[in-house]
Amino acid sequence: MNISTDILIWISSLLTLCIFSFIFRDNPFYRFAEHLFVGTSAGYFIALSYHNVVYPNLIVPLFKEGQIIYVIPLILGILYVTRFIPQISWVVRIPIAFLLGWGSGVVIPAALQTDVIKQIQGTMLTRVSFARWDNGLWTIIILIGVIATLIFFFFSRERKGIIKPLANLGIIFIMLGFGASFGYTVMARISLLIGRFQFLLGPWLGIIK
Amino acid sequence: MKLPEILSKIPRQTIYLIMALAIIIPLIVPIGMPINIMPQTKKLYDAIESLPQDAKPVLVSCDFDPQSMPELYPMLEALLHHLFKKNVKVLVMALWPQGAGMADMALNTIPKLYNKEYGKDYVFLGYKAGAAAVVLGIGDKLKNVFPADYYNTLLDSLPLTANITNYDDISLVISLSAGDPGYRTWLFYGQSKFRFKLGTGVTAVSAADTYPYLGSGQLVGVFAGMKGAAEYETALYRSGYKLTRRDATKAMDAQSLGHFFIMVFIIVGNIGFLLLRRSK
Repeated sequence: MNISTDILIWISSLLTLCIFSFIFRDNPFYRFAEHLFVGTSAGYFIALSYHNVVYPNLIVPLFKEGQIIYVIPLILGILYVTRFIPQISWVVRIPIAFLLGWGSGVVIPAALQTDVIKQIQGTMLTRVSFARWDNGLWTIIILIGVIATLIFFFFSRERKGIIKPLANLGIIFIMLGFGASFGYTVMARISLLIGRFQFLLGPWLGIIK
Repeated sequence: MKLPEILSKIPRQTIYLIMALAIIIPLIVPIGMPINIMPQTKKLYDAIESLPQDAKPVLVSCDFDPQSMPELYPMLEALLHHLFKKNVKVLVMALWPQGAGMADMALNTIPKLYNKEYGKDYVFLGYKAGAAAVVLGIGDKLKNVFPADYYNTLLDSLPLTANITNYDDISLVISLSAGDPGYRTWLFYGQSKFRFKLGTGVTAVSAADTYPYLGSGQLVGVFAGMKGAAEYETALYRSGYKLTRRDATKAMDAQSLGHFFIMVFIIVGNIGFLLLRRSK
């Protein structure tokens, strides 16, 4: 056992234990660590946003390089503040409209290409899909899964006849998807816990390397 | 208290204590459970392994923060070991502000182990805000987005980046992604438009979401969570790569035991619930 003499490791470890103390019940140590985290994060992000976004993307080009065009983003940015003044709060719609317009223009074609066209292509049965028998089998299962799941979300017709068993099959595929996601979520949370224990047992207490 | 009530009302402190022990004990006394390499990990490993020595640089984007460090930082370390050992040039950047700190930490140690020279063998571009605009912008001209590197050196003055224009000069993009912006940003605004090869390492929470993109070939491979990191470390180890640390591999015993007890608790809780319902 080789306990750390680094003050920063001690602070980090004690704050971790403060957060862990919530396991038993809410207590002042937990609340102290929580508020400290929120405050530090807020301060960190304000400084970070200024140094990484506002300064290099607005202050430098506008005030140091004299690029007048940057007055437009400056005005749009200032207009966001108007939402705090009730008499002219409607003005905030101008920068929001600008952002929505730009965002939609960029996102819609990208989403169509990535999540619709490419995914439909990926679901199609081609000769390449059957180069190996197991690959071919999975491709057919995926195709059935996609069709059954889409039918489950088809609400324009009453669920009877062929639609009913296909929709029920869709539920099975959806549940399998949820199960996989939940399993991975558990794995993620355990990983985070392991990470903290590795830190406490390693750099802090020196029990493991 | 009867058995059904005991089973369905285990105090949460008891559950936490058992979980803590299930994780701490294997970390101190490793069991050495076998690690199987999943196809999605193998695909990304093969994509990197098949790069020739004179390949165009690989762009690694650190799109994560310290909160997801246990899952993604081992991937970053293993990835840098792999690329430097293969003498592949590396560009490192971040779509998350804290990702730059993570990358800086890894780049302070790993390149030295392989005698890599900054500017010639690797360049650290740092963090840039506006993820979508950054990914789209690199497709047009890298130097418009990153005129200078993390240390404020102009990219034109660095031998590695002087001749890089856009994705055409990059052989593979790998996003180590903890959320948004992350691999989906690279898919949406980069891969779908500029058709470059894209691989990703993700936190386990997002792993299931990556499979459709893997199946359609939009992603060349995926490292899924800490397990993916351990599989990648193992693949490298089996191929003779010497990693300085194998944190994810060491954690796998704890991961397996933790999962085992969660399964036990789910089964026990459900048995208790069913018995209690039957007794009413």
